[in-house]
Amino acid sequence: MLKLIASRVTLVIPQLLIVSALIFLMTYLIPGSAASAILGDARSTPDEIARIERLLGLDKPIWQNFLSWIGGALQGDLGTSYVSGRPVSDALMERLPATLSLVGCGFVVAVVIGVTLGLIAGLRAGRPVDRTVTGVTSFLQALPEFWVGLILILVFVLALGWFPVLGYVPFAQDPARWLYGMVLPSLALGAGASALIARQTRTALSEALASRYVDTLTAAGLSPVRVVMKYALKNAMVPVLAAAGLTIGILFGTSLVMERVFSIPGVGTLLLGSVLNKDIPVMQGGAILLCVIVIIVNLVVDILYGVLNPKARPQ
Amino acid sequence: MTIAPSMAAEVAYASDRSPLLEVRDLSVVYDQTGLFRRKKPPVIEDVSFDVFEGETLGLVGESGSGKSTTGRAILRLLEPSQGTIRFDGAEVTAFGRRTPLSYRREVQAVFQDPTLSLNPRQPVSMAVTEALRRHGVRDRATRRRRAEEAFDQVGLARAFLGRYPAELSGGQQQRVAIARALALRPRLVVCDEALSALDLTTQNQIINLLCDLQTEFGMSYLFIGHNLEIVKHISDRIAVMRMGRIVELAPAEQLFADPQHPYTKRLLGATPADHPDGRDERRAVRKAYAQAHADGVIPQP
Amino acid sequence: MSDTVTIRTRPRGPEQLPSPTARTVKRLLRQPITMIAVLWLLVVLVCAVTAPLLAPFDPNDNDFTAVLQGPSAEHLLGTDENGRDVLSRIIFGARIALLVGVGSVIIAALIGIPLGLLLGFRGGWYDRIGTRFIDIFDALPGMLVAFAVIAILGRGMLPIMLAIGLIFCMNIARMTRAVTLAERGKIYVDAGRVSGLREVSLLFRQVLPNITGPLIVQGAILVGSAITIEAALSFLSIGLESTTPSWGGLLGVAVTKMAVQPFMIFPPGIAIVLTVLAFNMLADGVSQALGSQRRRRLRRTDRAAARAAGAVGAAAAPDADAVLQVDDLTVTLFSEDKRVPLVTLDHLTVGRGEVVGVIGESGSGKSTFARAVLGLLAPNLHITGGTIRIDGKDMTHAPPSQWRKLRGGTIAAVFQDPMASLSPVHTVGAQLVDTLRAHRRLSRRAARVEAAALLERVGVRGAAKRLDEYPHQFSGGMAQRVAIAIALASEPALLVADEATSALDVTTQAQVLDLLLDLRDEYGMGILLITHDMGVVAEVCDRAAVVYSGSLVELTDVKSLFDAPQDPYTVELLAARERRPRTIEARVPASEEVTS
Repeated sequence: MLKLIASRVTLVIPQLLIVSALIFLMTYLIPGSAASAILGDARSTPDEIARIERLLGLDKPIWQNFLSWIGGALQGDLGTSYVSGRPVSDALMERLPATLSLVGCGFVVAVVIGVTLGLIAGLRAGRPVDRTVTGVTSFLQALPEFWVGLILILVFVLALGWFPVLGYVPFAQDPARWLYGMVLPSLALGAGASALIARQTRTALSEALASRYVDTLTAAGLSPVRVVMKYALKNAMVPVLAAAGLTIGILFGTSLVMERVFSIPGVGTLLLGSVLNKDIPVMQGGAILLCVIVIIVNLVVDILYGVLNPKARPQ
Repeated sequence: MTIAPSMAAEVAYASDRSPLLEVRDLSVVYDQTGLFRRKKPPVIEDVSFDVFEGETLGLVGESGSGKSTTGRAILRLLEPSQGTIRFDGAEVTAFGRRTPLSYRREVQAVFQDPTLSLNPRQPVSMAVTEALRRHGVRDRATRRRRAEEAFDQVGLARAFLGRYPAELSGGQQQRVAIARALALRPRLVVCDEALSALDLTTQNQIINLLCDLQTEFGMSYLFIGHNLEIVKHISDRIAVMRMGRIVELAPAEQLFADPQHPYTKRLLGATPADHPDGRDERRAVRKAYAQAHADGVIPQP
Repeated sequence: MSDTVTIRTRPRGPEQLPSPTARTVKRLLRQPITMIAVLWLLVVLVCAVTAPLLAPFDPNDNDFTAVLQGPSAEHLLGTDENGRDVLSRIIFGARIALLVGVGSVIIAALIGIPLGLLLGFRGGWYDRIGTRFIDIFDALPGMLVAFAVIAILGRGMLPIMLAIGLIFCMNIARMTRAVTLAERGKIYVDAGRVSGLREVSLLFRQVLPNITGPLIVQGAILVGSAITIEAALSFLSIGLESTTPSWGGLLGVAVTKMAVQPFMIFPPGIAIVLTVLAFNMLADGVSQALGSQRRRRLRRTDRAAARAAGAVGAAAAPDADAVLQVDDLTVTLFSEDKRVPLVTLDHLTVGRGEVVGVIGESGSGKSTFARAVLGLLAPNLHITGGTIRIDGKDMTHAPPSQWRKLRGGTIAAVFQDPMASLSPVHTVGAQLVDTLRAHRRLSRRAARVEAAALLERVGVRGAAKRLDEYPHQFSGGMAQRVAIAIALASEPALLVADEATSALDVTTQAQVLDLLLDLRDEYGMGILLITHDMGVVAEVCDRAAVVYSGSLVELTDVKSLFDAPQDPYTVELLAARERRPRTIEARVPASEEVTS
């Protein structure tokens, strides 16, 4: 077990390094220097630019800046926003819970709906139920998540008034209202992702049920319930876990859009602002935070995969 | 100069006769993967044998014996980590990653699964004509003619030339593969489990075809297989491989009549017979052998 | 594909089209759903191309007197916040959708395909490092990449296409690499190399054509995704400028006016959904058309009807000594419109301690017969006549609950591929223990002890430790012994071995067969041995049944079978094993043959 974790963790380190390097390099790619972005056109005299650059440390060699940025990041310091002047990490930490809530709840919805549909379809493979489910999931996959969100708002907020008019209530403040506010966004997020999970579950289960070992164990006298519940399911869960892991990465992306739909003040909205304002520290800080989270989640999924599937463990 | 196959067996022992293919101390190790270089055991090790002009050398072994790897090494589909291969006196292994075109003409192959060895997107005639074109036959009409000849020689109707592999039966596909090998007029053909994917009756047809072609054209065969019965039928001499090494090499009749190595004996004892008579004795022999080697491990070759 | 013996030739139909591409296209045309999808995509294409002609209004025609109106006779889909006709903007939006969709996938392909080809074809260190690289990019959520590119390059068509292209390129690279590796490992590539074909030639002429299919499928899916992503970016107002009518941009505006004119969110949304759906269905259709195996959906047919269809004849007298008795058995395949009898066996018994072989070539129906005897027939196969008696009980039409009682204790099975016969994610011990406890009241600990003893009995040394190992840690022969142990756990009276040694090496096969005989001696069980190998029959069987085309053609004791075969098919099977001597030797007459 330790061997498994160790081997997976060692693979992650170069990944983290390269991703942070890429994000860091963004500064240098933006046309027109960062300094003139801060100063605005009016005050962009060469002297002023040079002064700001010295302030920002842009005159030092790249690798030195990279190392100091990494060093700062590891200590929790991600720089200061060009626009607001606030420390980036503060702004991010404020908004992280909202994003995490969104992705977390969306993931739960995706898994619950997806696995359920997939199990139903897989158990009854080839029958009308299966074909209905396949049709439904195909349809769900084609829906843009943010549009689903809009429709949900139209129906449940504007027309029926069942749900609050947008916004986000932190969990710590009022758990019930937090959950209430999460229902619609997580449904919208989870609907599309559930389709992917449902398909994978269905395929995995129907293949597991058709396997030789099901025949062997059935022929040996095991009850069909046990054969399905213990043997077929565990085999089926292996590819499903892989699909679930994939889903989380996707969900982080779509959550950024969903924040705008439901007016949730998360990391996405912050990032969006920084794109338009060319607020580089915020962009970098937000990007590296999200990437690190996704990498860690993938790491956990990878380890779980090794736990489930003995063939994937290091020999 | 070609020799009648039945004489090749005697000729093999004549030391003044130089072999067509000379393999010495061949070893193949599959490359280590991963950052941590672990020493992997070689797939084949210290393999040495000769194949003379016009003879068939059978290479027999079970899964993991390394026989296919040996074949692939001779076909230069993989690089040996050690050892030499000489063809017609010239050292082939010295060429590194490149293989001279002449070698590619003189050493050909017939593989196991004919469905997989033909490109599904090309009509079967192209298997032959592509090879011919590569070897300098520029004129399309000549290529066509030679493809037709090759098909005739393997017993395929010319009508099949334009068909796609999916339209042919397994035996017919294998004939195409043989035609492809034949068209280049090779001196050595490596048959890598060439019969294993075919039905029993088709196996008979193909093996007889191979024998007939050898009689007519005098090429040598390196016949790789796991079924002793089949290999015996076509081979002058047989090499038995186990766990990457050759454990015994002898003329075919002698191998069956008087096997030396324990593994050869075990292999012969395990091969199902043609008739129920004597099966109780065979079973007793196998049992005695298993008892004698209580830990189940046969001494390393 | 098997060759056929001279007396049974299978003619190739004239309707078989030669080229694989032609076959694929033909199959595509036969799929109704795919054709509907293609139809819609054609509509979108027509809108995109003929937009100026098709649209009733200019998409940027402001009319501030008719702002945010719902559908009307003049404006079929209403107007937007500037009074512009929504329908026209939708029609023009098709241009953006297709341009961005196809454009970004092309960019992704331009980057991804060469990369994937390089990695897949070169292998070695290139591949190892390259795959790590691709994996790393997976960690970046797509939206982030898009944000980054737009931050650097600004808004506009090209940055969007580039951004989406970058998001997809690694996906395409990975897919290309996988397909290339799969194709490259195929023997026809090796065969090409042996013929002397150059690597480059191999790549372009042999490998590439086989990759195009999967790439097209993936491409279609990605175009749909690209349209969605562009819509999202425009919705966030960092995509295309709002003067350019894009479906996403329309949605972006619709959101702000939702309280006033909710209808506006529907037209662009529906346009996106239909188009993405169409691309997905097209991808599915092409994927199915390419697949060589057509998935046959086994529909569960009515068992009662099957019973009624079967002939009701006089029941044969049960044989007390037989563990298996089969009389006048007919197994029929029920497909959509017809019924095909697959197996007709007039009589077969297996006695206690007897090894009976069932020999036939592939397709002879012997495996179907084995499954019938085990009660494991596929849902569309039914017994329409005759009886199967197992240890005296008539199991012909027994419900699953009755079968369960019999399984393990009375009848058990070992199948062909040992690795597939065991669950790869459970330990060998778990599977043995579950089997043992299925029939007897045993504590887990007691069952483990029994399981270890059972493994030792079948020849797995160090059994106690190996209980916690997984099937892939066993060799083929050892795994088959485990499967035998599972079958034997409850000491069945009848063991059905369906090609149990066909996947094994000769020496391993001998060991497993000897094991079966030993167990037969010890437990006294009957063995029904299904095989295609006459040699196995000669070594192991007491009696044998020869099956051809679903019918029993000969049933006799093994010596008579080999010495004096009655049926011509048996003669053929035997003759095939005896190979004709080589031509050269045949020309030299043996001295005994020369008779005057």
